Amino acid sequence: MEPEVASSEMVLPVVLPFKRVQMSDKYPKGQSRGRQWKHLKQILQAENYASLPADEPNYLSIESPPSMYPSKKYCDITGFEAHYVDPRTTLRYANPGVFKRIRGLTDDQIQRYLALRNAVIVLR
Amino acid sequence: MPPSSSSSFTRPSRQSDYARFSPTTPIVIDNGGSTFRIGWAGESDPRITFRNVVQRPRHKATGDAVTLVGDQDPALMKYFDCTRTSYRSPFDCNVVYQFEIMEYVLDYGFECLGANSEVNHPILMTECICNPLSSRSKMAELLFETYGAPSIAFGVDAIFSYKLNQQYGRCYEDGLTVCSGFSTSHVIPIVQGEPVTKACCRTNIGGFHITDYLKQLLSLKHPQHISNITWEKAEELKMEHCYVAQDFASELQQFQKGNEDAKEKTRCWQLPWVAPTQGEVPSEEELTRRAALKEKQGQRLRDMAAARRSLRITELENELNGLENLSQQLDEVDEHDVSSILAGTKFYSRQEIESNIIRLTQSLRKAKGEPIEVEEKNDASLLEKYPLASVPDEMLTPEQLKEKKKQIFLKTTSEGRLLAKQKRLEEESIRERQNQLDEEKRLENPELYLEQMHARYRELCERVEQRKKPKTNGNHNLLGGVGRGERLTAAQKERMRLLTSAAFDRGKGEDTFGARDEDWQLYKLMSKDNDDDDNSLDEEEAELARVTCRLQANDLSPLPQDIDPNFVPRSDLVPIPGGTTEFQKFRPQTAEDFQIILDVERFKCPEVLFQPNMIGIDQAGLDEMAGISLRRLPMVDDSLKAEMSKSVLVTGGCALLPGLLPRLEAGIRQLRPYLSPLKVVRASDPVLDAWRGASRYANSPHFTLQTISIQDYYEKGESLLRQYQMKYTI
Repeated sequence: MEPEVASSEMVLPVVLPFKRVQMSDKYPKGQSRGRQWKHLKQILQAENYASLPADEPNYLSIESPPSMYPSKKYCDITGFEAHYVDPRTTLRYANPGVFKRIRGLTDDQIQRYLALRNAVIVLR
Repeated sequence: MPPSSSSSFTRPSRQSDYARFSPTTPIVIDNGGSTFRIGWAGESDPRITFRNVVQRPRHKATGDAVTLVGDQDPALMKYFDCTRTSYRSPFDCNVVYQFEIMEYVLDYGFECLGANSEVNHPILMTECICNPLSSRSKMAELLFETYGAPSIAFGVDAIFSYKLNQQYGRCYEDGLTVCSGFSTSHVIPIVQGEPVTKACCRTNIGGFHITDYLKQLLSLKHPQHISNITWEKAEELKMEHCYVAQDFASELQQFQKGNEDAKEKTRCWQLPWVAPTQGEVPSEEELTRRAALKEKQGQRLRDMAAARRSLRITELENELNGLENLSQQLDEVDEHDVSSILAGTKFYSRQEIESNIIRLTQSLRKAKGEPIEVEEKNDASLLEKYPLASVPDEMLTPEQLKEKKKQIFLKTTSEGRLLAKQKRLEEESIRERQNQLDEEKRLENPELYLEQMHARYRELCERVEQRKKPKTNGNHNLLGGVGRGERLTAAQKERMRLLTSAAFDRGKGEDTFGARDEDWQLYKLMSKDNDDDDNSLDEEEAELARVTCRLQANDLSPLPQDIDPNFVPRSDLVPIPGGTTEFQKFRPQTAEDFQIILDVERFKCPEVLFQPNMIGIDQAGLDEMAGISLRRLPMVDDSLKAEMSKSVLVTGGCALLPGLLPRLEAGIRQLRPYLSPLKVVRASDPVLDAWRGASRYANSPHFTLQTISIQDYYEKGESLLRQYQMKYTI
């Protein structure tokens, strides 16, 4: 260990005095632990809120509903208000100049613009 | 805008007074999505603060994987190999799910706090509202069993902040707290000092989404600088330059029209850039000096080449003399001694010696610069070498026939080689002649020559591009399919026809595809990448490359200057926007190309908090959430709602955005009845108030009643955790 790294104490020590079980014992080396942990979606599924009494608030019941205001459409390239949509790529644009630029975009740029809006259709 | 200096990095320093605190003093932890704060109850500031991320790179020297928590000093990171690692957070949205990472974070937090023996203090930790039970129980298990805490308590950070501000007098007992954090935003109504969890409202938008949106927008706008626009840089830009527009639509209008205000609001980030030194037109002395230098260099090279050549000539001559002596010896001597003499040398027969002599004389002649004799001998030797080739078949035995076949084969190959050599010589001579003509043209009229070269270059460029264009017909279809109303080119039509006819099912027994070899050519025709004009395309590209070289070339010729000092190859140029791809004009790079402009993004990115639809999240924005939360309240008492509207507190990291409060106030006013009272305040310190509120809470004498002790945990376990609900007014 280089002296400056050691003196800066940036690395977490492997053995810590205040712990009853050390990390190396709890998570032995060599096993991939990524799959052990359930993501939020799986956690919520496992919670099974449907079986609990419905009037108690839970993580899902607090979620916001969709907005009541109709969503305004903004140009994907410039950000101004977009009154038009390109039929080929489904990108929104504000004026003909932007339209020309859209027609000059490459495929992956188009996908990235759509991904900004969460509008990419992925066929698997 | 001055170039941003490297962010000053300060590591949390190790505390040394851990032992000073009695075992009844609680440790207060604000486990936030972006930062982790830990400290002692009763103090006004957390002792330790760091970013709630972990990375596990490899130490380059030892090769072990080490754990680094939080941000690190960039100067020391060179000792670690971070290529296959990334920052990992224990959170998924606002719920802790990766407890291994959480353990690393807690380890680091306690270690920096100075813990040496067991963590023998009650722990107050923050969590999200309505935290799923599994997450809460795993956290409890971690704290009790791994760290040995005697008792723990869980609370919601937004409410701690509200309680603190209530004590400061900024808000009242009944109110609304709008907490906009890292990955989520909540609106929690507070009635008589306690939160009404049923009426709480959560949208999955936070500071993370704003930064991410900014990063994506800038990367798309300036794809050539994509490596400079990192996440950390985007956060810096957001904190420094983003603001919330009071009226989004009119701000957009201002920028669209290009008003003076819009110009003032535009900020520009200049990336480090050094102009390529074009150099002024060199003066006369400069030119002559350069010419003399080149001459000297050329002369030196020529001398070296001459020396090498003379060396080689002497070598060859020596060898030749030796061989000639040997052959003379063999002539003089008898037959029997021939073999013994030959055994002493490395040759096996006289013919070998003779052929070697011939070879050497030829190379000698070449080295001396004399023309090579035409190899007429070869024709004769061909016939000699393959005597059987010319003899008709009937006169030979079967073995001789085999011999003959071999000889015919060898003869044709050597003939073929001769022909190829001749063709090459011809081509070379043609090219030589062309080059000479070129040089003459250039010498006699440099200007015209230059023009011609430029014209040729442009022509070739266009032609190459045009060839590549018709493939797609200007289409950039997403999935390669044809949209509505698309016209197909002839090539595309043909391809479709092939595909459909090939796929047509003719029934059993009728399909004879593949019986003939030519059938498989169909796939070649069908393939989209097929380039029939491959050959001519390559030719043109090769010529393009040659012309580029010539234009750029730095000659050793007597001309004092380069052919064209102002020529810049296409790749270094920047397209002038506004033109179509067919007729683009180019210009050399300037300082402006290395500037990143923030104009609309400044207020567009924080707008995501109010219009989550902009990034595709179909939920209500901050102002609407307040209305939804008020509606969800179980009691229908309007006067209470009016009371609550007078005490709306905005807290959380995003509350620091300038312009958020007036915008939020205007938004909520739209939802409330006309002329009903409304007052929106910001927390005194939106970032630290949660921890401070929790610290004060833990310091109060009745805190112990709100904790879960380790004995209770072992007795009752999960059911206790499920029912656990902290009371905030104590």
